[in-house]
Amino acid sequence: MTLIDIWLGILQGLGTTAAVTAYGLVFAIPFALVFGVAQYLTQGIARLLVTGVIEFWRSSAVVILLFVFYYALPVVGVTLSALTVSAMVLGLNAGGYASQAVRAGLQALPSGQKEAGAALGLSRPAILLLIELPQALIAMSPTFVNTLIQLVKATALVSLVTLTDMTFRAKEIAQVEYNPVAIYTALLLAFFIVCYPIALAGRWLEARVAAPGSRSGGI
Amino acid sequence: MGFDLAFALSSVPTILGAVGTTLFVALVSCVGAAAIGFLFEMVRRVGGVAGLMIGFVIDFIRSTPVLAWLYFLYFVLPFYGIRLGSMTVGVMGLSLYYSGYLAEVFKAGIDAIPKGQPEATRALSLSRRDAVIYVIAPQMLRNIAAPLGNYFVSILKATPYLAVLAVPEMLGRAFDIASETYRYTEPLVVAGLIFLALALAISQGVKRLERRLLAVGTR
Repeated sequence: MTLIDIWLGILQGLGTTAAVTAYGLVFAIPFALVFGVAQYLTQGIARLLVTGVIEFWRSSAVVILLFVFYYALPVVGVTLSALTVSAMVLGLNAGGYASQAVRAGLQALPSGQKEAGAALGLSRPAILLLIELPQALIAMSPTFVNTLIQLVKATALVSLVTLTDMTFRAKEIAQVEYNPVAIYTALLLAFFIVCYPIALAGRWLEARVAAPGSRSGGI
Repeated sequence: MGFDLAFALSSVPTILGAVGTTLFVALVSCVGAAAIGFLFEMVRRVGGVAGLMIGFVIDFIRSTPVLAWLYFLYFVLPFYGIRLGSMTVGVMGLSLYYSGYLAEVFKAGIDAIPKGQPEATRALSLSRRDAVIYVIAPQMLRNIAAPLGNYFVSILKATPYLAVLAVPEMLGRAFDIASETYRYTEPLVVAGLIFLALALAISQGVKRLERRLLAVGTR
């Protein structure tokens, strides 16, 4: 097996890596928005419940969460594909992290923003959707980019529940070809090639958001 | 077959028996990651070619999954004749992976010290050594204590990754029970809950520490 064969073999798993990431975002984005906003708006027992759900997904060890849902859901009669279970677990874990950014972004806005909306006669949902969320989401966008990178990297875990992602392919190739240096270097490089541009985009965003006079930073 | 509570409870002592291994691995990895991360950050601050290279290494580590690093070390080191126990390899992997993140923590901790502080040490003609020991280091430690604590929790939650290298930590024990009894749900749920409890308890401790340190800062 030449180096090119190894690379092509690992890249065959790129589709699964991308699919788990994209499918994971389908869980992560709504969860982060709904629970982040809910934590911001609620008080008392309601807030405790919201925080409890967030902490379950955020503070659990994601490795164990994946195995628990992979093995336990069929026992209680829920049969989902390995892809769906992986996307759900990794997505909600990432969503738990992102929800804290949503909440922190909302809390960091000066209260004058909300008061100005009220003075203009806007309803509470309109203030949230038109004034608070746009500013909070822009301000926290670098954090969301970091969470996306964490999600892409976490997809390596799905190799443990039989999905043929890049990590799984690397292990398969390692079984037929004793060349661990080339194979696992290629695996690390493949993830680097995917994640580093996202990290650079995040840095660019961070510089823009923090720039004086930018819409969110200048308030 | 639903969830067998009695069986779950019977697996608690065995899994909890490995909590020492889990905490030990997490603690050693945290110290290792802090040491490597501090070294990385010092080299990066000095700048030059070495600084640029270390900067790239930090970016590379942060763009690649921890699981890929564990496989890399586990299979590549023996290829070069370096035979280490799986726990040593696991600790090395976690230390190396998190050093990239802790380097950023040290960077932020040092950058946050006001410029006037090192200037004042020069005005008072303190030696470089005294300036670092009595002025810079205490303020840096105060800045990094909380993020360091949070990364300790992250490392703790990453220790179940070492189950793939057959390190006998809590998830490994849970899988041992599962393969003996063919019941996966109960031991995995138990392991997950113990991890969640540990992570939440330590997070609370870190939050308290952060509040105390902030109070010292505003005295």
